[in-house]
Amino acid sequence: MKVSKTVKNDIQIIQLSGRLDGNTSPKAQEELTALLDMKTKVVIDMAECSFISSAGLRVLLNLAKTLARNGGQGVLAGLGNEVADVMKITGFGNVFPSFTKVDQALAALKKGNR
Amino acid sequence: MIRIDSYPTHTYKGFKLRPGKPLPFGATIVPGGVNFSIYSSHATGCELVLFKKHDPKPFARIPFRDDFKIGNVYAMVVFDLDYENVEYGYVMDGPFDPAQGHRFDKTKILMDPFAKAIGGRDEWGKEPDWNDIYQHRARVAFDDFDWEGDHPLEIPFEDLIVYEMHIRSFTCHESSKVEHRGTFAGIVEKIPYLRDLGVNCIELMPIHAFDEFEQSRISPVTGKRLMNYWGYSNVGFFAPKAGYAATGKFGMEMDELKNMIRELHKNGIEVLLDVVFNHTAEGNEMGPYISYRGIDNHTYYMLTSDGYYFNFSGCGNTLNCNNPIVRNMILECLRYWASEYHIDGFRFDLASILGRDQNGAPMNNPPLLESLAFDPVLGKCKLIAEAWDAGGLYQVGSFPNWGRWAEWNGKFRDDIRRFIKGDPGLVGAVIQRVEGSPDLYRWQGRSTSSSINFITCHDGFTLMDLVSYDGKHNEANGEDNRDGSNDADSWNCGWEGPTEDSGTNFLRMKQIKNALTILMISQGIPMVLSGDEIGNTQLGNNNAYCQDNEISWLDWSLVEHNSDLFNFFKKMIAFRHAHPVLRSREHFRNTDYVGSGYPDISWHGTRAWYVDFSEQSRCIACLLCGKHAKSGTCDDNTIYVAMNMHWEMHGFELPSPPPGERWHVFANTDVVPPQDIWDVGSEQPLDNEYEVLVGPRSVVVLVAK
Repeated sequence: MKVSKTVKNDIQIIQLSGRLDGNTSPKAQEELTALLDMKTKVVIDMAECSFISSAGLRVLLNLAKTLARNGGQGVLAGLGNEVADVMKITGFGNVFPSFTKVDQALAALKKGNR
Repeated sequence: MIRIDSYPTHTYKGFKLRPGKPLPFGATIVPGGVNFSIYSSHATGCELVLFKKHDPKPFARIPFRDDFKIGNVYAMVVFDLDYENVEYGYVMDGPFDPAQGHRFDKTKILMDPFAKAIGGRDEWGKEPDWNDIYQHRARVAFDDFDWEGDHPLEIPFEDLIVYEMHIRSFTCHESSKVEHRGTFAGIVEKIPYLRDLGVNCIELMPIHAFDEFEQSRISPVTGKRLMNYWGYSNVGFFAPKAGYAATGKFGMEMDELKNMIRELHKNGIEVLLDVVFNHTAEGNEMGPYISYRGIDNHTYYMLTSDGYYFNFSGCGNTLNCNNPIVRNMILECLRYWASEYHIDGFRFDLASILGRDQNGAPMNNPPLLESLAFDPVLGKCKLIAEAWDAGGLYQVGSFPNWGRWAEWNGKFRDDIRRFIKGDPGLVGAVIQRVEGSPDLYRWQGRSTSSSINFITCHDGFTLMDLVSYDGKHNEANGEDNRDGSNDADSWNCGWEGPTEDSGTNFLRMKQIKNALTILMISQGIPMVLSGDEIGNTQLGNNNAYCQDNEISWLDWSLVEHNSDLFNFFKKMIAFRHAHPVLRSREHFRNTDYVGSGYPDISWHGTRAWYVDFSEQSRCIACLLCGKHAKSGTCDDNTIYVAMNMHWEMHGFELPSPPPGERWHVFANTDVVPPQDIWDVGSEQPLDNEYEVLVGPRSVVVLVAK
């Protein structure tokens, strides 16, 4: 799992690449905490995330709660169909608004849409 | 703050360890590791065995040091485990001495009785590796969930309409058109249907971990594989059945189930679990080692004096429910489901076993049942007993209850079935059943909600089959039609099985509507078997416990094919919800205590104010005074129900409606749809105020307004 951050139009973009599972989640959680300003807007780009486990879902949920607590705002982009389906049926579907492409996610955040 | 006990104190072959905490039992995620705790009062040693998920061989065996044992509990923290990808089991050392009740075997790897997640049957019906030394694998579970403010609904018991269903049967048929057939997720997709039907509670047939391959075999009749389909045979009590989750293959069944419960709650639907604490999947002396018998056989099972298994369950063994250890396990288990899964209540399979002592004798005040009745965590849970067992104990009306326990009312089922069939001599019994069975419950000070009224349930015929078959047709089960009940009180309406004869089919539909109407106007809690609302058939199989195929799966094309019946169910359910006079918690007093001019309930026959109790009488009518609704605390319409189970038409002389009101027809099962039933509020005025003609084998429901 690789966590990388870029910034576009004052919006943070976090790319999660690889498997987000029990092995990688603790480190991913640490890196997200270190990299992100939780008071502003974030796109979480999942296009390169091949698998997400129970532990991984909880990383995303924790991120959502942290952003909400601090006045930030997050959206997902590029979820694969299977990952999106798993998130939906395990009750994590409402954690973040979800968009097909990063550009759409950026546009939505820019407009303030959640 | 970092706890000072969050560091290892010992190592063993590279694993970092420290003494664990004995409570809670099971595997618990703690800072830096996992706390493993297991009880055995007769073992002489214990090893923790760790597997990578799905691996055939363990990657570690870690003995519990003597100083890691407190009392009879082995407890140890193992640090730095990738617990999402670990499966764990135990090896117990101790005597193999069956006559003394001990069956320890160091060659067996044993599942934790407190496992919150269990692998090995992750995908339904996927043939397991029978050479696997560890078939049912305990896993470390995430038990956190974002409930989004959800809470058990706590709907008043008397306001429930229960819908009994099987997770797989409900959506497995391709006609269900759901994305995840036969799963918890599939139920979520069908919530709009449940809302449309109007039920506010689903009772799930067992969803605890079980092995669908237990006693699996090929039917000599159909050539199809027979399975342990219903699942009344627990592998583990704390874990949901992974194969019921679309995400079971990812180990996410807990989250998927919680999501299902949360979504049902959002839609006003409670969830009851059918729990099977009377026996386990380990069977008798010949059965496999899964967990309990290898961990502490003497504690977990009721044993004869020479060490054989008592068989009050009919399934080979009997859980030792009133042993204090087992009692605590059951209590902790139910607390877990109530608090961690927000389950609204429980139906206890063969619950009379829970009231037997360790030698099998029925007790007057069984401590387990008392503990459950008074437990604070379970304080708002519905507790429902199947008040009999396979050892001959039958406690309908006498189940130890402390005012908390309700019962599946088998007498309601039997009396109403016979009445509908046209048997003589049932008028007196029908009065009792419609009133909420005061003969069974009032004398003990128990409310009407002690009575779960039902005509069909998973055991026995579906409602369609009840009116289509005289005898059972269980050949597909491969037991020469010997299995299943023989005294179903069914009647085929003149032809055995499906027919094109329109007269017979009309009569069958009418009989179904008669049954539903009597169920819905009776005091107590009605329970409907899933699929009855669309005329689901099992082709006369009255014991489909092994049929994972179209015999059991609901055919959703029937919603359209039998749309008139579905419409009748919806409106009759809506009628019950609309009229509190049908849902009194207190028993009737058979007097007028609000000054309305009518008793709370009065009984009539073909003559008003007169009941013919003679043997040949099959006509009876009741008048429910709306001013007495909910013991006079709310105002409702006055309702009159005429039941004619004679094969001839009868005129029923009507009691006068309340002053200024007229009788209106809400339902008449003898009328061709759609005029057999009306919307609540759209009831049709009755032309003749003095008499209503009730067709042969028909029920008429009138509302005064």
